Amino acid sequence: MRNRLVGRYALTTAAMIIAAYWSAHAQQTPGQPSETQARGPAQGRGRGPAEPPLPTPRFADGTVNFGRVPGEKGIWSVRYITNMADQMIGADGQRLAPPPPARGGGRAAGAPLGGGEGGGGGRGRGGAKSEPWVPFQPWAAAVYDYNSVNQSKYDPEGYCLPPGGPRLMATPYPMEVIQLPEQKRVVMIFEGATHIWREIFMDGREHPKGDALNPTYLGHSVGHYEGDALVVDTVGFNEATWLDYFGHPHTDQMHVVERYTRPSKQTLHYEVLVDDPGAYTKPLKMAWDTPWTASGELTEYICQENNKYLQRLTDDFGKPLFK
Amino acid sequence: MRTKLIVAAAGLGLLLASVPAIAHHSFAAEFDAAKPIKLTGAVTKVEWMNPHTYFYIDVKDEKTGQTANWGLEMGSPNGLMRQGWTRNSMKIGDMVTVEGSAAKDGSNIGNARSVSLASGQRLFAGSSQQTNP
Repeated sequence: MRNRLVGRYALTTAAMIIAAYWSAHAQQTPGQPSETQARGPAQGRGRGPAEPPLPTPRFADGTVNFGRVPGEKGIWSVRYITNMADQMIGADGQRLAPPPPARGGGRAAGAPLGGGEGGGGGRGRGGAKSEPWVPFQPWAAAVYDYNSVNQSKYDPEGYCLPPGGPRLMATPYPMEVIQLPEQKRVVMIFEGATHIWREIFMDGREHPKGDALNPTYLGHSVGHYEGDALVVDTVGFNEATWLDYFGHPHTDQMHVVERYTRPSKQTLHYEVLVDDPGAYTKPLKMAWDTPWTASGELTEYICQENNKYLQRLTDDFGKPLFK
Repeated sequence: MRTKLIVAAAGLGLLLASVPAIAHHSFAAEFDAAKPIKLTGAVTKVEWMNPHTYFYIDVKDEKTGQTANWGLEMGSPNGLMRQGWTRNSMKIGDMVTVEGSAAKDGSNIGNARSVSLASGQRLFAGSSQQTNP
């Protein structure tokens, strides 16, 4: 009994923290790190209040350093952003998703179209009709509805395949940005979602054209600095990935422009424009912050090792997919 | 009161600490958050592997006397290590108590949320449910 009471107390506390987090998050102007977002997940236990913002690290020539300061550790603790629609912003920088309904006991278990998952801004999984601000092409809405109904059963990340486009910065494993100015490139290393790296050419080259542009999971990325921002332009995606866990689809027409800034040492601000006329009638603009974990280091995570989920996965008719 | 505070702090820690642990596959496609399980049994096998560590326990049904072997999913080894686990936290033969969610299909498979170890230590299991609260 005592345990049950204590457990309920912990649950209530957790619910209050989630609610507080959401309200802080929803009112936050993109670009400004909030206290809640400046936390490092690996340091959660017993931490006091978040430390004040520290100055943005820079190299000798003034370029913003998006990585570690020599002699220190540190990783970007990528947050788990399950639904890109919740991160969409309008021209004024305000979020397009409405605030979640008042929480009175939370979502009902077994509610239609899922109900067992967060990330939907408290709206659960309602498919395309629950996101009227997302300019779906009709087929993309249908695919998204299907992924909603089956609760992302066929998510490529469940197969240990890489994230696509902005989902790299929404798959919750640490990452690092390594700038190599003398080599005119930037390398990003991602611990999770299959231990991948990404190369951004900073030498002024253009994207390959025609058949020279081979569709790949991460596409072809070129970048440059605009003041304090690292701007990355990517094309050449294949169609084997989703934009997010909720299952927003994309096509090989996708063109992604990312704008990375580091407003303080502890915050990486990410703005991304996804232009994919194959799946959406208008470009999608999204933004979020990623917190720095000063004590963190990358560790090994080889997703493909023993993927029992895949071994148990069945199709819509109950037949195993991979046996 | 002290216990309550500790548990509340643990709850906070769970929220803040769980984020990078696992987000590999759909929790809801395989497990049912509305089917909570609490199982105690002896460890028969540990697979300290990616993308999920699995361990297996023999659970005895007190009514029938029958023993069933359950497979329980946790986070990846690196995620678990960030939460305080090592590959030797659980050994074959140890009696452990697991709290989590049962598989949708009714098989003896579950997703572990926390494990009380033979040492008395209780660790969060970096399950996919924690990232989909």
